[in-house]
Amino acid sequence: MARSRARPGNAAGTGGGTGLRGSIAFRLAVGYALLVAVAMATLSAIVYFGTVGVFERSIDNKITNVEAHLVDAWSIDGRVGLMREIDAQLHDLIDTDTEVVGLVDASGRVLAGNMGRWTGDLPPSGELAFGQMLRGGAPVSVRMVATRLDDGTRLVVGRDLIELDAIRNVVERALGVSAGVSVLLAFFGAQVFRSLLEARIGRIRRTTARIAAGELSSRIVVMGNDEFARLGDDINRMLDRIEALMDGVRHVSNSIAHDLRTPLSRVRSRLDRALQASTDPDALVADARLAIEDIDSVISLFDKLLQIAALESGVRAGTFEKLDLAAIAHDMAELYEAAADEQGVTVRFAGLPTTIRGDRDLLASALASLIDNAIKYGRSGGRVDVAVELADGSPTLTVRDYGPGVPLEDMDKITRRFYRVDQSRHLPGNGLGLSTVAAIAQLHDATLALRRAAPGFEACVTFPPP
Amino acid sequence: MPNCLVIEDDAETREYLCSGLRAAGYAVQTEADGEQGNRRLQETRWDVVVLDRMLPGQVDGIGILEQMRARGDGTPVLILSALNSVDERVRGLRAGSDDYLTKPFVMSELLARVENLSKRSAWSRDVTVLQVADLQLDVRSMRVTRQGTPITLQPREFRLLEYLMRHEGQIVTRTMLLEGVWEYHFDPQTNVIDVQISRLRSKIDKDFAPALIHTVRGAGYVLSATPTYGPVARPAG
Repeated sequence: MARSRARPGNAAGTGGGTGLRGSIAFRLAVGYALLVAVAMATLSAIVYFGTVGVFERSIDNKITNVEAHLVDAWSIDGRVGLMREIDAQLHDLIDTDTEVVGLVDASGRVLAGNMGRWTGDLPPSGELAFGQMLRGGAPVSVRMVATRLDDGTRLVVGRDLIELDAIRNVVERALGVSAGVSVLLAFFGAQVFRSLLEARIGRIRRTTARIAAGELSSRIVVMGNDEFARLGDDINRMLDRIEALMDGVRHVSNSIAHDLRTPLSRVRSRLDRALQASTDPDALVADARLAIEDIDSVISLFDKLLQIAALESGVRAGTFEKLDLAAIAHDMAELYEAAADEQGVTVRFAGLPTTIRGDRDLLASALASLIDNAIKYGRSGGRVDVAVELADGSPTLTVRDYGPGVPLEDMDKITRRFYRVDQSRHLPGNGLGLSTVAAIAQLHDATLALRRAAPGFEACVTFPPP
Repeated sequence: MPNCLVIEDDAETREYLCSGLRAAGYAVQTEADGEQGNRRLQETRWDVVVLDRMLPGQVDGIGILEQMRARGDGTPVLILSALNSVDERVRGLRAGSDDYLTKPFVMSELLARVENLSKRSAWSRDVTVLQVADLQLDVRSMRVTRQGTPITLQPREFRLLEYLMRHEGQIVTRTMLLEGVWEYHFDPQTNVIDVQISRLRSKIDKDFAPALIHTVRGAGYVLSATPTYGPVARPAG
């Protein structure tokens, strides 16, 4: 397998042209083919030794048995008994066509048996070995053992290996054919494998290339439920998120442009006018004062944005302490009571001491924001409820008004920076209040749920159980 | 004349601080970097220090403050910083500052806070009966009378009045009131404090003369028997 990469990857969006060795599909395919080859080799080895090996061992057993029998005959009846037994062995009609038996004297002359001329030396006494021998005029390979007897003669017992060779041939041919077939299969399988992979990856790459070219709404077509489908799903989800974030950033920058330009251009025109009419000191003072007010509103807008950014980065969580949520809610309800009263709104608080970990000032400012919103937008309802309770063990803070509520289509957008519901644009505000509350909730691992409350609007912050 | 040391590296801000504080009747000395500032702190006894959070050089505002407190120097310090994060404020206060103000700041707010710090040693928590003109407040019995007539106040109104009386003649800003009376630090951005003050005013001033609670435009409030209150009201120069 190619271990080194032909080149360090391929830039997305340039289409095909991946070098063969740089292709993961190719490497996988080669790996797969190698795996098939190793599996086949293992299987072949098992088959080979299971057939040929077993046969060889059975031949060896038979040779040893006959040899032992003949040596017995020698030790009981001497050469006469041995001759008789050799004769009997060769005429017992069992394996007679493959059996080889012979008694050879010290000069190499065959005294008895069916043994033909052999090539080379006979094997050392008592050792099974392969050898070549003439049988029926043709050289054949034999397996034999030569036992040296007391009178200097050697008893040779062996077997013609013609049957074993035939079996070996058959098995080897079968294995050869199957090896060839498996190499072909692996090769073509790898090709198919590779083109399938490349087709799936190609689809993803074409989509990402389109996105890189700026077509951000482009998505991967997901088919089936395999790994690539899941990868496609993941990428699509990531793209959704990126698109939403980019929309958000675009929205924020548009809003900043608008919300900053308006007061800044007011300041500019005011200062311009003041310069032209600089004779009247009272007008100058008044213009300067208004300019400062406008600049203050810009500064406060920046502060809010920076605060949200700081909250979202989560650095503040280090200063958390144990505190009573109900006490803060009570304080804030009380703080706003008088202001609400002026608008004809009653603020009611209900709740028992509830301990959470958090930042007192941030929680107070979130509550102030929610209560302020409830008074401002739910004024017609005449009532604002602030409640702290344990809901399924989770400390929960609810601020509810009885006003006209928020239109359904705006519900999921109202925590966006600068988002303002059309009907409330005439009221003072910068559209950052709920974004800040959401950021503060997030910092506290709390969830902010905004609901229509029939009548009215309800903001509910659920903290993690203590 | 209280003396005030300003340690601030930005020349324009330093000028602005200097002229504002001088107009308010402080003897002001300035330093532009941390090491010089640290030396000046040890040379002279100051009534109040305005310290920039970020300073060039080896030692920044927090560093100077920590060294001061380590030396046992308890001079009131107001930290001035462009770092607006609430975290920074907590860091500043933990390092031993007495107050924290973010840039850009309004001069009236700064003066109100500096005055509050420089006079801190002047008023004591031990005083239990406060008196401004014919208005009397007894901290222990929680009784308030004006011209001998008892006035009924809600607990929070009582604390609001106590805070104003303890800062008699000083301008207190809305955020100072939120910190001092409600003990929360954030910018309420709405008129909640104004409404609270107007409630208090209707009880303290409506049926009596002269009015004691005065609004200082663009700054906050002041409780005083005479309407010529505080340094900020005098036009600079």
